[in-house]
Amino acid sequence: MDFKDYYKTLGLERGASEDEVRKAYRKLARKYHPDVSKEPDAEQRMRDVNEANDVLRDKEKRAAYDQLADHVARGGNPDGSFQPPPNWDEGFEFHRGPNQGPADHADFSEFFSSMFGAAERRGAERRNYRARGEDHHAAIEIALEDALNGAEREISLRSQEIDAQGRPEWKTRTLSVKIPPGVHPGQFIRLAGQGMPGHGGEAPGDLYLEVRIAPHKLYRVEDRDLYMTLPITPTEGALGAQVKVPTPGGGVVEVTVPRNARNGLKLRLKERGLPGKPPGHLYLLLEIALPPADTDAARAAYEQLAKAAPFDPRRHLGV
Amino acid sequence: MASVSITTATLTSSHPLAASELAHACGAEVEWVVQLVQVGIIESRTPAERPDDWRFHGGDLQSALEARRLERDFGIGLDAAALVLDLEHEVRRLKALLRAQGLGREI
Repeated sequence: MDFKDYYKTLGLERGASEDEVRKAYRKLARKYHPDVSKEPDAEQRMRDVNEANDVLRDKEKRAAYDQLADHVARGGNPDGSFQPPPNWDEGFEFHRGPNQGPADHADFSEFFSSMFGAAERRGAERRNYRARGEDHHAAIEIALEDALNGAEREISLRSQEIDAQGRPEWKTRTLSVKIPPGVHPGQFIRLAGQGMPGHGGEAPGDLYLEVRIAPHKLYRVEDRDLYMTLPITPTEGALGAQVKVPTPGGGVVEVTVPRNARNGLKLRLKERGLPGKPPGHLYLLLEIALPPADTDAARAAYEQLAKAAPFDPRRHLGV
Repeated sequence: MASVSITTATLTSSHPLAASELAHACGAEVEWVVQLVQVGIIESRTPAERPDDWRFHGGDLQSALEARRLERDFGIGLDAAALVLDLEHEVRRLKALLRAQGLGREI
């Protein structure tokens, strides 16, 4: 396990004030927001920034973390790996902040889960209350074919549990999850009773899996609709044609390309997208591909075409 | 490492979430879900007066989790979060539209 330098993540010095932490966090949260960021690793950076903020803005967690950072600065482990000293969090009690739920920590690092996740739960148990276990959040990425036809997939979940001596230990659970046909991105699959254990004899929480669909070599998924680029020749575009198209279900359909079809024209195959109520559509985006002029015959044919159909695509430029 | 087979349900009209379940999934109270409905961030899929009778789908869970993050990340109120979410959804819709027209590669 690697030690995480939360101050570096937020671009702060060790003695930064609460206000400086808040300002640095908000600036970076805007910079790496997935809807506006142009950074290629925005999602990972956002997770790091959220995690650093979670610890540094909380007085108790920050004090305990500073103590740990001192231990690391004094040399830590000789092999460079990080192991927390025993009872490192003695005297501290961690809580989740207001407005925070189980989903907020779902993507945090192993370092965070080992240090603060388990301690938060121990704190909850020490407070000795009865409550249903927290719901757990994770994402599942499936192939488009699995979304179409449904599938059974095994997922492995690593989570920390507290052993009989009150020490945290990593447990790996493998669950066999039924993916119903017709799931689409952004939907949630709920697995009853697979969340965190309950407190004081109460029931465990549930596990929510957010569905993501892996990039496909032919089709792009938007909600329930599918998009595919369909290359056609200039001849097919000009004269119209019947072309064969593979459908996501594994079949082949014949599609009519209309006469004088322009580049980028969108053809809709009704209800050939992801199943559902209503089902999605399959859209074909026409892309005119030029035959290469790499033989005398092909060059002559292009020249003949230029003579037979004089055409200036730049007329509107006025030069 | 044992493999366990378990019941799964997709959060749609046949398996919706009650207000208390939605609240629990977000680590919040039902009162917070009521506020989300009041500002229009989510809406019950079954017309009902009492929060106990409200039912929500996966899209509502996604919106609720995003609203939770906005509250936490920027300390904003739910009215402002509703506006940010509307704008986020509009940006995503427009980006999807551009991609659908084959124009989105450079975005």
